Amino acid sequence: MPPGPIRCHDVAMAPAAARSMLAAGSVVPLLGIGIGLGTVGGSPADSAAHAACLVAVAIGWLLHHRDRSSPVAPALAWSSAAVSLVALNDTLAASWYTDGPLPLASLSRHVWAGLWPVNLAGLFALLLVFPDGRRRGRYWSALPFAYALAVASMALAQWDAQQAGGEVVGESSPLRSAAGLVGIVLVAACLVSAVISLVLAYREGGERRRLQVRWLMLAGATSVLLLICGWVAEALGASIDAAYTPFILSIVVLVPAAVGIAMIRHDLFDVDRILGTGGSWLLTLAVSAGVFGVVVTTISRTFGAHAGLSQASAAFVTAIVLLPLHHLLVTLVGRVVDRDRHVAIAQIEQFAADVRSGVRQPESIEEVLREAQGDPDLALVLRRPDGQWVRLSGEAVGAPDGIRVEVAGDLIAVVELGWDSARARRRIADLTRAAWVTIEVSRLRSVLRDALDEVSASQTRLAEAAATERHRLERDLHDGAQQRIVATGMRLRILQRHVGGHAASELETAVDELEQTVRELRDLAHGVRPIRLSDGLHAALEAVRDASPVPVSLSVREPATLDETRRVTAYLVISEAVTNALKHAAATRIEVSVDDLEGRVLVMVSDDGVGGVLAPGPTALRDRVLSVGGQLTVRSPAQGGTTVTALL
Amino acid sequence: MTDALRIVVAEDSLLFREGLVRLLGELGHDVVAAVADTPLLREAVEEHRPDVAVVDIRMPPDHDSDGARVAAYIRSDHPSVGVLLLSQHIELRHCLELIGQPGFGYLLKDRVLHLADFDESLRRVAADGVALDPQIVQALVRARPTPGLGLTPREQEVLALVAQGHSNAAISTALHLSDRTIEAHMRSIFTRLGLTDDGSTHRRVRAVIAYLETGGQPSGGDPSAR
Repeated sequence: MPPGPIRCHDVAMAPAAARSMLAAGSVVPLLGIGIGLGTVGGSPADSAAHAACLVAVAIGWLLHHRDRSSPVAPALAWSSAAVSLVALNDTLAASWYTDGPLPLASLSRHVWAGLWPVNLAGLFALLLVFPDGRRRGRYWSALPFAYALAVASMALAQWDAQQAGGEVVGESSPLRSAAGLVGIVLVAACLVSAVISLVLAYREGGERRRLQVRWLMLAGATSVLLLICGWVAEALGASIDAAYTPFILSIVVLVPAAVGIAMIRHDLFDVDRILGTGGSWLLTLAVSAGVFGVVVTTISRTFGAHAGLSQASAAFVTAIVLLPLHHLLVTLVGRVVDRDRHVAIAQIEQFAADVRSGVRQPESIEEVLREAQGDPDLALVLRRPDGQWVRLSGEAVGAPDGIRVEVAGDLIAVVELGWDSARARRRIADLTRAAWVTIEVSRLRSVLRDALDEVSASQTRLAEAAATERHRLERDLHDGAQQRIVATGMRLRILQRHVGGHAASELETAVDELEQTVRELRDLAHGVRPIRLSDGLHAALEAVRDASPVPVSLSVREPATLDETRRVTAYLVISEAVTNALKHAAATRIEVSVDDLEGRVLVMVSDDGVGGVLAPGPTALRDRVLSVGGQLTVRSPAQGGTTVTALL
Repeated sequence: MTDALRIVVAEDSLLFREGLVRLLGELGHDVVAAVADTPLLREAVEEHRPDVAVVDIRMPPDHDSDGARVAAYIRSDHPSVGVLLLSQHIELRHCLELIGQPGFGYLLKDRVLHLADFDESLRRVAADGVALDPQIVQALVRARPTPGLGLTPREQEVLALVAQGHSNAAISTALHLSDRTIEAHMRSIFTRLGLTDDGSTHRRVRAVIAYLETGGQPSGGDPSAR
């Protein structure tokens, strides 16, 4: 049994006392059955009624077995046993007036009519002690004595009175009338106090006690409903037995069953939902009937006695109001009897609305679920389309075990509960139903984030590979082709010294050609990767500056940790931006700056040209910068001037 | 041609090395050793004590600026051996401190095709002079003014040619000026740089060094410190 709330104000009872009371409560219905079956005055129907009372007694024993000091067990047993006792007394008393009086009949006939408050004594005790024992305090401990006094007063008031055909026949006197009045008032006061005690227990109790009380509320409400049905049935002409049998059965079977469930497995079913649904349907029924009646009456009064018209209209109106009315009532009743769930779902819905309006991130869903569920250890594990399980932080985990969240048959997430119970499972199922959109969004965002990370990483790898390749190509050109050509030139030069005349001048031309080719190759290699980059960004940029026909001012502060890829990128971005400024902007001066921003490179190229370059700037530049995970901004107002800024 | 120089060639490409050896032979020089990597170059220099070592800047084992590092070693440990670095392209990282110092030259490889210039450069380096490729000087100083020195454009032009290692006569030819004008410019340069005549050729070298130090250094910092 899960641990209950600490009993701070509840009075338990001695196990021995509880056991004795249970035993006594067991004997009464058994006696009733025996007398009903074995005597002339009794009947099998009476025996069946006594047997039904055994249900509560049996559940009482079960509860006692679970918790030996719980006063609920004997109180529950006596809620039926007391009824059984009064019925037994009726049988005994009635037999006095027959030919074969039963034993004790002479005694019981005196209290025949006056014993009726005993019927309610068990229920009174049950209300007083359910679910965790009697409340502390003088007032509450005095109540049982007050009830005993009420029973005694009623017995005195109707001493020796007889019951005949439902009427009480007996002498009357001022003393008896006074005793009767005292008895009635005391019974009413005690019952009201007992109900108040239960309400207080509900209001002061934790979640568990509230759930337990709700079970009793459910059974009580059903009994009241059945009682009302009984009245209606009786008014419609049903026999008293047929009309009230469901009510009696609910009292002797349903209430004990509900108490048993509440005490042993309070989270067996979702009593909140049953109460909420049942209550709201009941109210819907009543209000619909009211609407129907009002419409029928109004129309038939206004238009005369057109029964067909009025009924059709009433049906129409009722049909229209039925569904909206029901929704309204579900919400209203839900708020009252199933407050926690409604508050929790409202929290989730508020969160979803916040996410829609951009106030909160969908990734906060785990915190919101924890709060709504009241479970700080709750964990949300998302299932990615590739079947991998991840937390919201992106951390990969093994296949989790918990409440599945599915969308259109697809498993998208699992909620691991810190505090697991049938009730917690139902609650989280409700919450995830309300939250599935945000869960799905955070799942897809996690997938998207990873994909973007992957794209960015692969871009960077490509950029690195390209930088390495440029370096290799440049070396190949210098050390391969260029070297070979110069070597050939040397051979020609040697040859030239040994020939004369026309051949010598031909060779001169050939060597000149070769030299030209070497220069071209050098320029080509420079375009692939400026060799002066090896001497640092500044050295390479000086070459850019010197090649420019307009003044270029240089300010270079190169980070010490600059890698080859970013160095090449920075160089290429600057030389492209300078080229653009010269080609398209008709600039008259260009400023180039390279700055160290805590290990990152801030590159800035600004000109005084025509401006008006459209955002987001030249594609080639953007691609270069993005390939190393950098950011590019191009500011180019129409009135002139362009500034290209790249953060690498 | 004057007397033959004793030369060690260090070049990893067989084709280029053989070409160079034959070319130097053709120029009347005596190639005492031709090696393909830096350890062998050190050995050859120690063994032969040549007049000049012609060294490729990129060589095994690292294929980085190993040639420049060995050049620095040769210049400090064997001052009698001149070093002429050859490179496919301008690469200054490891030889900035050598540039402008006597007995050191740095040429682009295709410069060897101009046999007369090449021969002259070799001889200058062997005679504790300077031989710098015009492109390298350009890369160092560019055509910008060097405000730190306070030279006139013409003086800078002259000094740039001096930095390349040219004699006054060669400069006067190149600039179509008389020898006397060049001498006047040189005196003005020495005065502006505060170099007194101590009777040695070192004044000329110091002028070049001062020029290269100011002109060769980027405004953002000292490249040799990288």
